[in-house]
Amino acid sequence: MRRSSPCATFATVVLLALSIGGCAMFATRETKLQAVKTVGIISAVGDEMTFARMGLTGPNNANQSYSIGSWGLDDLIVQQATAALSGRFQVQAVSYPRAAFAAIKDSPVAPVNLVRGDPFKKLVKTDVSPQGLDAYIVITKAKSNFGSGARKVEGIGFVSYGTLLASYNEIHVLYEIRVYDGKSFDVIEKMVAPPLDNAGTVGLTGPSRLVDESFSPGSGDPARNESLHGAITDLIARSLPSTLSDMHLADIR
Amino acid sequence: MNPLNLLRGPVSEMCELVVLTNDDIRRPAAEEFIGKAHRDLLRTALMALILVPSAAMADPLVTLPAPPFELPVLPPVSGTWTVMVGVGGEYKPDFEGAKRSMLSPVPIFAIRRAGSVDQFRGPRDSASIALIDFGDLRAGPAGKFVSSRKANNYSELNGLGDVKTTVELGGFVEYYPVDWFRTRGELRQGIGGHTGVVADLSADFIVPVIQRFTVSAGPRFTWESTKATSPYFGIDAVQAMATGLPIFNAKGGAHSAGVGAQVSYRVDPRWEVHAYVEYERLLGDAAKSPLVTVRGSPNQTTVGIGASYSFDVRIR
Repeated sequence: MRRSSPCATFATVVLLALSIGGCAMFATRETKLQAVKTVGIISAVGDEMTFARMGLTGPNNANQSYSIGSWGLDDLIVQQATAALSGRFQVQAVSYPRAAFAAIKDSPVAPVNLVRGDPFKKLVKTDVSPQGLDAYIVITKAKSNFGSGARKVEGIGFVSYGTLLASYNEIHVLYEIRVYDGKSFDVIEKMVAPPLDNAGTVGLTGPSRLVDESFSPGSGDPARNESLHGAITDLIARSLPSTLSDMHLADIR
Repeated sequence: MNPLNLLRGPVSEMCELVVLTNDDIRRPAAEEFIGKAHRDLLRTALMALILVPSAAMADPLVTLPAPPFELPVLPPVSGTWTVMVGVGGEYKPDFEGAKRSMLSPVPIFAIRRAGSVDQFRGPRDSASIALIDFGDLRAGPAGKFVSSRKANNYSELNGLGDVKTTVELGGFVEYYPVDWFRTRGELRQGIGGHTGVVADLSADFIVPVIQRFTVSAGPRFTWESTKATSPYFGIDAVQAMATGLPIFNAKGGAHSAGVGAQVSYRVDPRWEVHAYVEYERLLGDAAKSPLVTVRGSPNQTTVGIGASYSFDVRIR
């Protein structure tokens, strides 16, 4: 009769104990979300738009910023998120310092981000009212590399990408969604909005689409460009419900 | 290209692993047979890649269940991921300084967050993670795996003894003065087969011809310390007696200079093909070693091609 070695038995027991312990220690995301009834939504994505020239460019290619606060995109995002989440949660209006949320930037030195902790958590804990909801959903700008280059784009923007034989224009709405527990203020869930299925072939980590030159902020005040406004709004409307669905917050598929 | 060559980018967004075949098993008498076997394997793998089920092209999304639990310190795995599978072939010198080359298959497997993109990388780049990332300036740890050199694998090495596998650990810095020009430097300390220091410098002009087609090329330079050069190119008295080659005390210094170029073409969002060529000429004592002057060549050329297919996997 074959007998298992003491080492194998010990390893099996340790693995079993670790598995059970792991399951007990870390409640699943779904379990945490099941307890959530009331949520507040915070959006700080859409006050300004960047205009970037990339690809084959000259040395003077710094990003330009334009104010698009008049579009009220953050109000639109809250409105659309509320509509998507209302089937599952009781969404309550919250007040928050939008500029403070929008001003938070990741440090370019990755270890600094690990050491300093989550600045959004502190803001949700101290600057959002009312407190006491089960969860707070925070929607903020996300960053992405553009194509295979090293430069990054962020939030809402327009990219003019030059190649040897042609140039392309692309708009993007890059954002990430965090769900904070209303009591511990720990992150229950976090996700960067994924690209839409029909995105251009220049890769971005978020919703984007190719557009023509008439959408360019360089051809006039972008805040008055209705085509641009409509295209950005469309990207938000198409991506937000599906991202919330991917996070198991809304069932829209 | 080395096996750890493709681990780059923010950890939370991208994690790539490429598995390459080890050519250490080759022996002179079996080279022709194994070379044919490699070519057959490569041909079979390419055919398999071409015959990826058309259903996958039409509906590439696979949904997997959520993991049973998640560690709070790690980014959640739920969401959509892009899996890349592919195969390539690399025709490169049998060993550094060899005059003969052989084609080896190169399987490719990578996984990253959907939408995240591969940043530019050169075929010679070590595996690296950018812990400091200002966009145009990036820096972080880097590492390279250098296969062992078995004396009985190649007739030119008989009597020289083996050089063990080396892991080179260090750091990298790269700077993009403009989007289409990258400079990169690496400094690595060897552990194992050699215990010296290696510095790689490279520059690449990255030219997008059209949105899907990119050409890049640029110069390369490598400096190595004596401890990094000597195990591969030095010949001591015992080795000299065993091989008939003269005693040679290989010292460090400028090790090689060369140029490299690569092209990549994204056929569609799923398919991508690429090819590259890297030429380097050994310099200094590496070039002067009798192993190179008598039995090898200072001209080292590596040619590679590959094709990959990407599909999305959603984890609930």
